[in-house]
Amino acid sequence: MAAVELSGICKSFGGFLALDHATFSAQRGEVHALLGENGAGKSSLMNVLAGFYAPDAGSIIINGNTCRLAGPRDAAALGIGMIHQHFKLVKAFTVAENILLANPRNGYREAQAAIRREIRAKSEALSFVIDPDRRVDTLSVAEQQRVEILKALVGGADILILDEPTAVLTEQESESLLSNIRDLAVAGAAVILVTHKLQDVKAFSHRVTVMRGGRTVNTLDPLKTSTEQLTTLTVGENVEIPSRIFHERGGPRLIVSHLKHRANAARVTLDDVTFTVHAGEIYGIAGVGGNGQTELLEALCGGLVVEHGRIEITGDVADKPSDITKASPRQRLAAGFASIPADRHAHALASSLSIADNFAIGHIHEGRFGSWARVDRHAIWRATNAAIHNADVRGVRSLSQRASLLSGGNAQKLVLAREFSRFPRILVTHSPTRGLDAKATAAVQRWLIEARNEGVAVVLVSEDLDEVLGTADRIGVLVRGRIVAEFAAPADRQAVGKAMVNHV
Amino acid sequence: MSETSSATRSSSEAAPFGSPVGRRLRYRPRLVLEIRESMPAWQQFVILALSVLCGAAISTAILVWAGVPASELLSEFVNTVVDEQSIRAVLTQAAPLILVGIAASVAFQARFWNLGIEGQMVFGSIAATAVSLWHVGPESLRLLLMACAAVLGGLIWSVIPALLKLWLSVNEIIVTLLLNYVATYFLYDLLYGVWKDPTDGFPHSQVYASGERLPDIAWSINAALPVSLALMLVVVWLTQISRFGVYLRFIHANVAMAMRVGVPVVTTTFGAVFLSGSLAGVAGFVVSSGMEGRLSQGFFEGYGFSGVLIAFLARNNSLVAPLVAVLVAMLFVTGQTLQIFYQIPFSMVQLIQAIIVMCVAATEFFIRHRINLRG
Repeated sequence: MAAVELSGICKSFGGFLALDHATFSAQRGEVHALLGENGAGKSSLMNVLAGFYAPDAGSIIINGNTCRLAGPRDAAALGIGMIHQHFKLVKAFTVAENILLANPRNGYREAQAAIRREIRAKSEALSFVIDPDRRVDTLSVAEQQRVEILKALVGGADILILDEPTAVLTEQESESLLSNIRDLAVAGAAVILVTHKLQDVKAFSHRVTVMRGGRTVNTLDPLKTSTEQLTTLTVGENVEIPSRIFHERGGPRLIVSHLKHRANAARVTLDDVTFTVHAGEIYGIAGVGGNGQTELLEALCGGLVVEHGRIEITGDVADKPSDITKASPRQRLAAGFASIPADRHAHALASSLSIADNFAIGHIHEGRFGSWARVDRHAIWRATNAAIHNADVRGVRSLSQRASLLSGGNAQKLVLAREFSRFPRILVTHSPTRGLDAKATAAVQRWLIEARNEGVAVVLVSEDLDEVLGTADRIGVLVRGRIVAEFAAPADRQAVGKAMVNHV
Repeated sequence: MSETSSATRSSSEAAPFGSPVGRRLRYRPRLVLEIRESMPAWQQFVILALSVLCGAAISTAILVWAGVPASELLSEFVNTVVDEQSIRAVLTQAAPLILVGIAASVAFQARFWNLGIEGQMVFGSIAATAVSLWHVGPESLRLLLMACAAVLGGLIWSVIPALLKLWLSVNEIIVTLLLNYVATYFLYDLLYGVWKDPTDGFPHSQVYASGERLPDIAWSINAALPVSLALMLVVVWLTQISRFGVYLRFIHANVAMAMRVGVPVVTTTFGAVFLSGSLAGVAGFVVSSGMEGRLSQGFFEGYGFSGVLIAFLARNNSLVAPLVAVLVAMLFVTGQTLQIFYQIPFSMVQLIQAIIVMCVAATEFFIRHRINLRG
């Protein structure tokens, strides 16, 4: 008997058909991967199963009984627990309190003691250690995720849904999480792993169901299916992997020397960071997340005041470099900087404003769209139209539509279109493909390489080692705020990986 | 380890994933909340209108309980929109309310919560009165000079919270609110001291000369109304047509992002705050010169909160603010009548405003969620 059987599920949102007769089943004892691009309907389907969305049509059979789920509570009562991409934890509460909050019991003291015992038992069974009395805000992201899983398990969940669990984790953390998940399945749970990472599917799942455009395309055995086959099924067409053509680099363009920054007296976030990026070069910065990447990026973009050190840029003609260490973000933009942050909706777009406004803001101070007294709406619309057409931004019904309605990949393309339309000389980017599907990832990487070929100096900070190895011309490894090693492409994956973890 | 912990739930812990038999769902009708992506404008308007009605109903109940007969209450309100003199009073009253409404909305658009409109009005009026008392400039230009002084007075009083926020990150809500008291006591010091009216000894300034009062334009309505409407148009231009308005929208939507893409965040925010303070200063001048004819003790009371209410109801849209200002003016005028005939304290007007604000704030919930009854 299948633990979960979904058949013929349809769900539409305001005319957009998110799920089109989707069919899915999961057994106890297996990790069942649900693979697909962004917007393929994976999360929608799982939200139906977890009771968050009511389907327009179709049937849900849990443990052999047809069910109607009126909300997440109903789903939880049937043993379905969903671990969302964005954690639902109260930061100021301890682990035990958070779990108690989700699974209310009578009597505060006794309940706390009981919960503590359960947390210990459950986490020992899964071979990870978590102190029930630690406050959630002192935990790492990976640990918070464990708390979410424990929350579901303590609630008696035996059908676990994990929505893109590895998106926020480093490589090592992902591996240990996924092997834990596999243990859970072996112990008798049905685990559904929503993901768009092929390597996770190949290494950790027993079966995989591929979704595309709201439909479930096929269910396969990942070990008997090649990566190319899976890619073709998810994307629908072959993805062009950007070829690495070597390019003549120019003179030094961005010179960073001895940068130092402290978050507080005890924690040094940037420690003597020194590197040079040439025109026509992609300088990759590899490293495990939280080793100073955010601070380095902020320092480069002008969002952070460094304690010590210099940032200099040079013009096209070899002249004396100009010091921009103290320049404001605005002055840096004028000097030819562009930035593409990882969290586009928080740092690159104003989600509540229109697509046209979001494009225009990159140019409006140059006076390209009317004078200070009157903004030329028509000019903005024309330019935006041309830009989104060139950048292949899809899902735009109207230019006055809010930017928040764009999917991740399309939002990122809009950001790229804006930043590149200013013809930058230095591009600073942090994990520009995070959370994007294979097709959008390839498009973004192609864009970076084209920029390099046109002579832009690109700084690519990324926690995705494959991305750095695949696109960068030189790689610096950032560990505890220091560049500990530098490699020229083609870099040895093992050597770079070793530098990332062997910090002394 | 003993498994005595699961007192209330039968999730079997010995085997981590026991059989699910025994869990059943109870089906009963219940309310289900769903988050909506968007709502048509007309629906939003209907919800807004219903919430204002709801606030009016609660206010009516309170007024009836306070001793105003229900039938009289209705006729008082009807009277306000029918009686010629009342209409005149409403339109006169609307002028400063428009000004405080747009003053609040400009600051709010920059996410600067200016609750110091009353203090800025006080300093606007003090500056204008200084021009009057010290006979600054030729008489033909006196009124204009008073208006300019009022702009400066309001502006200067808004510089303090703006700088404190920039330099020391002091919360502007607290600073602006408390500076109201500083301004009030400074005003008292003047009115009980050097500026006390020598002719009657009361704590108000000498009356302005006739050339220092806003002239009537037509139908006994003074120039305050056209002045405030003109300033409203200036604000509409600044916030909706000019580049400054685009910057403001980005600051309102996402400051971190605005900073990154090169919006002059500090300059724009300061511009909005100073504009807000200047408009509040003009509002003070309009009340003193257009309505009271002198600097008096409590001329500013209730305007600060009304400005917040107007900006809130108009959703920071300066073009809508005058309509809301007229409604609030009706409430003011009716309140004054009730004060006279039924000894209802004027604070009742503020109570009604507060009830309406709360009702309107609650509509946000209905705009963002859909409520379904499921069986």
